[in-house]
Amino acid sequence: MDETAVYASRIFLNAALPLLKVLAEEKPKLKKAFTGKNGIVQVSARGDPKVGTHFVVNQGELSVVCGLAEKPTIELEFSSLAALNAFFSGASKKLPRMKGALKAPGLLIATFKALLAMAAALTAKEPPASPEERALLVKLYFYLLSSGISQLNKAGHPAVKKWTSQSPDRVYAWSVAGRPDLAAHIRIKAGQSRAARGVYERSKPFFTMSFDSPESALGILLEKDDMIAATVEGRLSLLGAPEYGAMLGEYMLLVGSLAK
Amino acid sequence: MALEREDIVRLEKKAHELRLLTLDTVVWAGSGHIGGALSCIDILTILYHKYLHIDPTRPNLATRDRFVLSKGHAGVAFAPVLADLGYISKELLKEYNHTGSPLGMHLDSTKVPGVDASTGSLGHGLSMGLGLALGARLKGEGWRTYVILGDGECDEGSVWEAAMAASHYRAANLTAIVDRNKCMIDGPTEEVMSLEPLIDKWRAFGWEALTADGHDFCSLANALDRAISHTEGPTVIIASTVKGCGIDFIAGDYRWHYGSFDTGKTAEARASLERYFEVRMANLTEHAGIDGHGLVTKGA
Amino acid sequence: MAGLTYTVIDTAKLSTAEIYGKTLCELGAEHPEVVALSADLAKSTKIGLFEEAYPERFFNVGIAEQNLFGVSAGLARAGFVPFVSTFAIFCSMRGLDQVHTDICYQNLDVKIIGTHAGLSFGQAGTTHHCTEDIAIMRSMANLAVIVPADGMETSYAVRAAYARKGPVYIRINRGFDQRLYGPDDYGFEIGKAVTLHEGTDLTVIACGSCVWCAVEAAKRLEKEDGVKARVLDMHTVKPIDVEAIESAIRETRRVITVEDHTIVGGLGGAVAEVAAGSGKSFSFKRLGIPDTFSIIGLHEDLMATYGIDENGILAAARELLGKDFEKDESWEDEV
Repeated sequence: MDETAVYASRIFLNAALPLLKVLAEEKPKLKKAFTGKNGIVQVSARGDPKVGTHFVVNQGELSVVCGLAEKPTIELEFSSLAALNAFFSGASKKLPRMKGALKAPGLLIATFKALLAMAAALTAKEPPASPEERALLVKLYFYLLSSGISQLNKAGHPAVKKWTSQSPDRVYAWSVAGRPDLAAHIRIKAGQSRAARGVYERSKPFFTMSFDSPESALGILLEKDDMIAATVEGRLSLLGAPEYGAMLGEYMLLVGSLAK
Repeated sequence: MALEREDIVRLEKKAHELRLLTLDTVVWAGSGHIGGALSCIDILTILYHKYLHIDPTRPNLATRDRFVLSKGHAGVAFAPVLADLGYISKELLKEYNHTGSPLGMHLDSTKVPGVDASTGSLGHGLSMGLGLALGARLKGEGWRTYVILGDGECDEGSVWEAAMAASHYRAANLTAIVDRNKCMIDGPTEEVMSLEPLIDKWRAFGWEALTADGHDFCSLANALDRAISHTEGPTVIIASTVKGCGIDFIAGDYRWHYGSFDTGKTAEARASLERYFEVRMANLTEHAGIDGHGLVTKGA
Repeated sequence: MAGLTYTVIDTAKLSTAEIYGKTLCELGAEHPEVVALSADLAKSTKIGLFEEAYPERFFNVGIAEQNLFGVSAGLARAGFVPFVSTFAIFCSMRGLDQVHTDICYQNLDVKIIGTHAGLSFGQAGTTHHCTEDIAIMRSMANLAVIVPADGMETSYAVRAAYARKGPVYIRINRGFDQRLYGPDDYGFEIGKAVTLHEGTDLTVIACGSCVWCAVEAAKRLEKEDGVKARVLDMHTVKPIDVEAIESAIRETRRVITVEDHTIVGGLGGAVAEVAAGSGKSFSFKRLGIPDTFSIIGLHEDLMATYGIDENGILAAARELLGKDFEKDESWEDEV
């Protein structure tokens, strides 16, 4: 399989899928669906080797574990990485094989709802109607982008790897003014990377892409707005080392292109 | 300005009061530099009660005469002088050296009204005195600066730096008085680090140098008058004194540079001071009418 | 308030001490209570410029530093504002008892400008170097300690010293300093560091002649390594700009101090004292004379020898960037 597919699957499995947890916590209907559920839910792709991500659900609380579980309660198994990629990018509607559906139907339904919600969110072309939904989408995107870039680094994407291997210990951050709950960052140092959620507290980030509102953020994230115009008009501020803004923007687009 | 008989009597009585108060202060403090305090009490008395143009109600008066006690450890004599004049309350003397008191072993110019310089480190006072004297001249003001130094203190090179400069600058408004009690902590001055010929040294540095009896007001007045009238440069008065003067069991003994008195010894010391005062008054009567001391009698 | 009514072209032609002398003359013209003193170094320290302008307000005490500071204390007690100059080594050692007891203890308005600081009088050797004065003087209570980075900053510092109540110690170099500041008033304030280069990869805190070197090193770090260093001109070592130091630690986590002074107890020591109290781990390196008496030489050569010049700072920065300020946590992405 070609590299692009490898990168894409790394992004889906390790950056996108973990977002299910965020959705399950923040969307009221999903939260309700998962309440009281227990078990292990796994999304996987057959191949050599088989790959996947699983969620340990304990009384409705999800924890994400990248990699395969020994005995998942429920498994959504795709026939191949290509099939998984196709499903999540919306290219194919072919459903994965569902194992263990009869054992825990409630859990399966909740998971499916979450997956559909995620797919809908990430393929949205327009900003959602309510402010809560918009904020949630910004959060999902920030988390996706930071993890996505980090996964690309770990997978050895040449451009990203070149950037991280030359870098001293630095943190790049995304933020929305006045909304510390809508923040993500990535720490890179000499080839290593770590994506994390929230504001980085330990030092001042080397670079921060800061939006003046969730709406302005969505403007860029949904590619409705242009970075230069947004900067000029104050919707976007490049703090710290602004000359790195363009570079980070490129990697964001890269993740976006692979994730869609 | 020869002293009138009334002046002398007044000064003698005042000096006696101050010696007693100094002893009291040492007792209240628990211990103190009694030897060097008693050797310069008479000099302090004549300065503060005859020569210094000062106003205790206006301690910061810009045109006041200045006084620097370069031998700062005699603070236990200086504080009583200031208290007696009203710069500070006499009650404060009872706290001398107590924790947090503004009155410590070496008086602090930032805490005690009437103190023109914080001294104690020996060898600093003459320089500061010179600075004050130069300041007066620069302002065109006529106030004078007096500095009392210890004789052991004259070992310090900084004293001679100041002496050289004072002469160079012809600081005639500066008068130094050396409390020549011939004692220092480790022994008599001439055994530890000999100063003689001391007066020659001052003259070699360009000073008008006089001697005086540090426990005779007429002698001191004579010397001070000559210092004031000497306008070509600074004057030093080498005043012969007795360490611990007035208390017979410590007088002349270098070991009483610093000491304390228990109740019994305090009573003895006080009695000794009373006797000493009588001797001083008797001397006055005896010397009445003798011109050599510049004493003027009104009638006989 | 403008430090000096001269143009940048003038400051290029004047040594730092000459700028000091001229500023003092301006102060003297405005304030009749300003007087000046020296110990046979009026011409070397350039306080002699004041002597030429106001001979009756200048006092030379000859080679007698203890008397120098004692007399200045007396003049201060008489109501004057004395400016006193001799070499830094004599201010901080030969006359220290007087500085401590007559001036600092009595909290007098005496302004001590020590010249020939650090290794700037390189060829004269240790007897005329002064690599301990920052450590000594900052331990004196009531005394402010200022180390200006160039001639312009010196003129601001001298004026600020006049305006500030109490004793002040300023140390400046012999000869010419690299020019950092232009004629525009950048708002010099005692106790406020000046940020001359921004960045978050590391911070270089410098004073005196090392400030220009730090700025040059920062420019090269950016150009050659893509590293962005923050440079702070910490001209006031006491009272030190605690906030600037804490920000540097909090935001950049890597700090280098550099001074023309021993690494023991000077600017490095002062920064370390603040930093240790900040409670945050950080990587730290003090650049300075490594607790030794210096060899003789030209100032620039000596700065290179002891690694406090542009190259030295550059090398130290590169080394520091490789060091961790805390153990790396896991490099797994948060999920």
